[in-house]
Amino acid sequence: MSVAHPQQKGRRMRPKLTWVALPGLIAVLAFALSACGGGGGTNTTAAQQQFAPPTAPPDNAQKGGDLTVLAAGDVDYMDPGAAYYQFTYMITSATQRPLLSWQPDDVAQPTPDLADGPPDISSDFKTLTFHLKKGIKYSPPYSKEVTSADVKYAIERGLMPGVANGYEAAYLGSIHGFAQAQAAVKQNPTQAPDISGIETPDKYTLVFKLDKPEAAVVEQALSLPISSPVPEAYAKQYDSQNPSTYGQHVLSTGPYMVKSYTPGKEIDLVRNPNWDPNLDWRPAYLDSITVQEGFADTASASKKILSGSAEVNGDFGTPPETLKLAATKYPDQLTLTPTGGNRYIALNTQKPPFNDINVRKAVIANSDREALRATRGGPLIGDVATHFIPPGIPGFEEAGGVAGPQGSEYDFVQHPTGDPQLAASYMKKAGFSSGKCEGSVCNITMVGDNAPPGKDTATVFKSQLEQLGFHVNFTPVDHDVMYTKFCNVPDNEPNVCPNVGWLKDFNDPQSILDVPFNGENIVSSNNSNWPLLDVPAINKAMDQARLINDPTQRAQAWGKIDDMIVAQAPAVPWVWDNQANIESADVAGVINKFNANWDLSFTSLKNP
Amino acid sequence: MLRYIVRRVLWGVVLLFLVSLVIFVIFYIFPTADPAELRAGRHASPQQVELIRKSLGLDKPIWYQYLRYMTQVFTPFDWFGAAHAPGGTGPFNFGYSFQSTAPVKDLILNRLPATVWLVAGAVVVWLAIGLPTGVISAIKRRSLLDRTTMVTSLALISAPVFWLGLVALYVFAADIGKIPLFAGQGTYLDAHNIVTIPGPNGAILGGKVGAMILPWFVLASATAAIYARYLRSSMIDVMAEDYIRTARAKGLRERQVIVGHGVRSAITPIVTLLGLDIGTLLAGNAILTETVFNIPGVGRLVYTSIQRSDLPVIQGVTLFGAFFIVVFNLIVDIAYAYLDPRVRYQ
Repeated sequence: MSVAHPQQKGRRMRPKLTWVALPGLIAVLAFALSACGGGGGTNTTAAQQQFAPPTAPPDNAQKGGDLTVLAAGDVDYMDPGAAYYQFTYMITSATQRPLLSWQPDDVAQPTPDLADGPPDISSDFKTLTFHLKKGIKYSPPYSKEVTSADVKYAIERGLMPGVANGYEAAYLGSIHGFAQAQAAVKQNPTQAPDISGIETPDKYTLVFKLDKPEAAVVEQALSLPISSPVPEAYAKQYDSQNPSTYGQHVLSTGPYMVKSYTPGKEIDLVRNPNWDPNLDWRPAYLDSITVQEGFADTASASKKILSGSAEVNGDFGTPPETLKLAATKYPDQLTLTPTGGNRYIALNTQKPPFNDINVRKAVIANSDREALRATRGGPLIGDVATHFIPPGIPGFEEAGGVAGPQGSEYDFVQHPTGDPQLAASYMKKAGFSSGKCEGSVCNITMVGDNAPPGKDTATVFKSQLEQLGFHVNFTPVDHDVMYTKFCNVPDNEPNVCPNVGWLKDFNDPQSILDVPFNGENIVSSNNSNWPLLDVPAINKAMDQARLINDPTQRAQAWGKIDDMIVAQAPAVPWVWDNQANIESADVAGVINKFNANWDLSFTSLKNP
Repeated sequence: MLRYIVRRVLWGVVLLFLVSLVIFVIFYIFPTADPAELRAGRHASPQQVELIRKSLGLDKPIWYQYLRYMTQVFTPFDWFGAAHAPGGTGPFNFGYSFQSTAPVKDLILNRLPATVWLVAGAVVVWLAIGLPTGVISAIKRRSLLDRTTMVTSLALISAPVFWLGLVALYVFAADIGKIPLFAGQGTYLDAHNIVTIPGPNGAILGGKVGAMILPWFVLASATAAIYARYLRSSMIDVMAEDYIRTARAKGLRERQVIVGHGVRSAITPIVTLLGLDIGTLLAGNAILTETVFNIPGVGRLVYTSIQRSDLPVIQGVTLFGAFFIVVFNLIVDIAYAYLDPRVRYQ
């Protein structure tokens, strides 16, 4: 399995890729430690510096050529209204122009893209006004100018079940009239409902009226593909089908357009003849991009890229055994980029034995999180996590940074290799006088991945639990089944869900903490609050923090919430991911730090 | 013979119905991921998931879903409201992918050429290697050649095809192999011509043919070995028959005896195997070879659709596969009657 590879936004749900042998992982870990020396944090920092991603094209970047992107799987949806996957964003960022986008080296604030500037935000943070650039046109066959009504339609159609945008309700739900629109679409599923809070006073002006002062998060959410314009006159014929087939006939506004898309096989992007470089900050060096899918053996695909020509990786990171090869023989062709995601092991706080906070603290104290990290490749793949907001996201430092929250109340999370004595003391506090779990309450269930590296992680954690006296019934299942049948269904949820995690939707801590840890977000199915954490004080703090618009105060508030969550010990945080990306020697690749992946609009070939 | 063919075709239709029913039942009985949840995304509420489930038609009883599907496949009628779904009404509408919304028929037809290429070439290779090897081994029984070929065939039968494929790539692939001789992984996707014409840069055996050299030999290896062993065993039995002795006694040359009388009789079980093998490979059994060499064929399609709980694609590919198996079995049985005059069908 790749070291750390592009994820579906939100929870980590990935199709399985080809697997690597544990000796390979150990070899990579040994190499990484011997190369860098010292503890995990030092190794990771040194590696990140050595393989820092290029975020700007070279001064002599040349136009022309065809780049091939090798991918193991497919995009989730070509329809920007439905797209919700890191790999898909690699494509949409080259073909679509949302209101706001992310330049390669900027993860703090999105850059106006379709909009001609940042939004005007009212003093009560309940109104955002965008002015669109004039003259931006769609690709053939439509070729007309983009208007504000197209953006309105794009957002509204996301509510249709045939499009089914995965994040719209979470981040744009405060737009006035949103609930009414959700009700309307139930009556007529093949017609986009009107969201009255989105107004288009003229063809180039877009006004969002909110019921709550959530302008900060709404602005960030509009950097996602949902705000990419879709003309109703063109799309309606496809949206009238259920599900919508617009994804097979998608229009582009970016420098590239989709020439052909064969699901699971290939995506061909060519220059959009209607794209005006004077209206865009993207340089678009390449003439065409071919995405070849189906490279299930990511090790040989990685070697093909490293030794080949004009190729980059798409949806897979470099698997551990090839990571070593890349780091030693092809160091200039390897980059490591923080993904803005975390991985953790969820403990079901609603049923014994993990409904006892001392038992949870004992489990976390006992956990050798460096061993867990080794199952994915060791220090190169990221720092051992000590809380949940990842590096680079506001609130990370406020929550304690790499070292994590300090103080005696957080002692259980301060030992990355585990502290059995501390664990035993917590077990005694929980009433287990021997310091280990005793009795029938120690018979617990765990449902995890049936393939590496998820299975490896679960297996390692199982042995750690057994050291603490638990009897673990581990059921490995397919990754999607793990989520949709077990971990996402509170009534069916096991004691431990070992292969969960969360990836940012945008650079705001709300997108990391709200859904996975807010008790108000626990639902009967498709639940993502896997620990089933429901602490009124935390819920209330999140409700209040959502309404803070000042960036500094917002970071402080969510950083504090992160520490509150850690204090409840609902999960074992074990890594903040790095994404390993590789390119051929003749590629001048540029990484987009927001997506932790190659930015096709800035990447060029050295000899086109 | 005609009555026999008609009866077999009718049984084939019954079989296809049974296969489609079994697939439906298996999908719902065994734990699979929820397609509606997969499509809904991470933040969707249960109400939104149910709305999507309804839009995909998954809220209806299983028997309703099955009848709707079979109506789309075999009739032009819109009894179940398929008009608004991608692909519209039937016949031969196998539904649409829950994942990509592309019509299943288009997905399969798009993938079929690659699988046909792979299987056709592999068939040629395994027949070209397996048959002569089996005959020679039978004729020169217990010789060094016989023992060598049988040990080799045992090794090839035992080696997993994905392992063979990976070894072949790491040894012979032009991009990553130690002895770069042949096109490697993913080159089928790069090839736009059948064969690349030799040019100033010396490119030969390029194109789709070049991309298939390694996959053909990898896929053919185990089957060639099996055929060799089968034919050897069959030949040994046949060459001991009285009519072979008679043929020799009549003064026929040994080659005529072996080929004209021996092989012709001994090859009938091979014909049966051939039909089954071709049918099952076209149905998606070449998945391991397709995966190792990244050939976008039918096998890979069904694999990814199983991962994504994409029932319409699973159903469509399975029906296609069953169709191929039924057809090739019928062809084999007809061929049998011509190969062996003693066989007559009522």
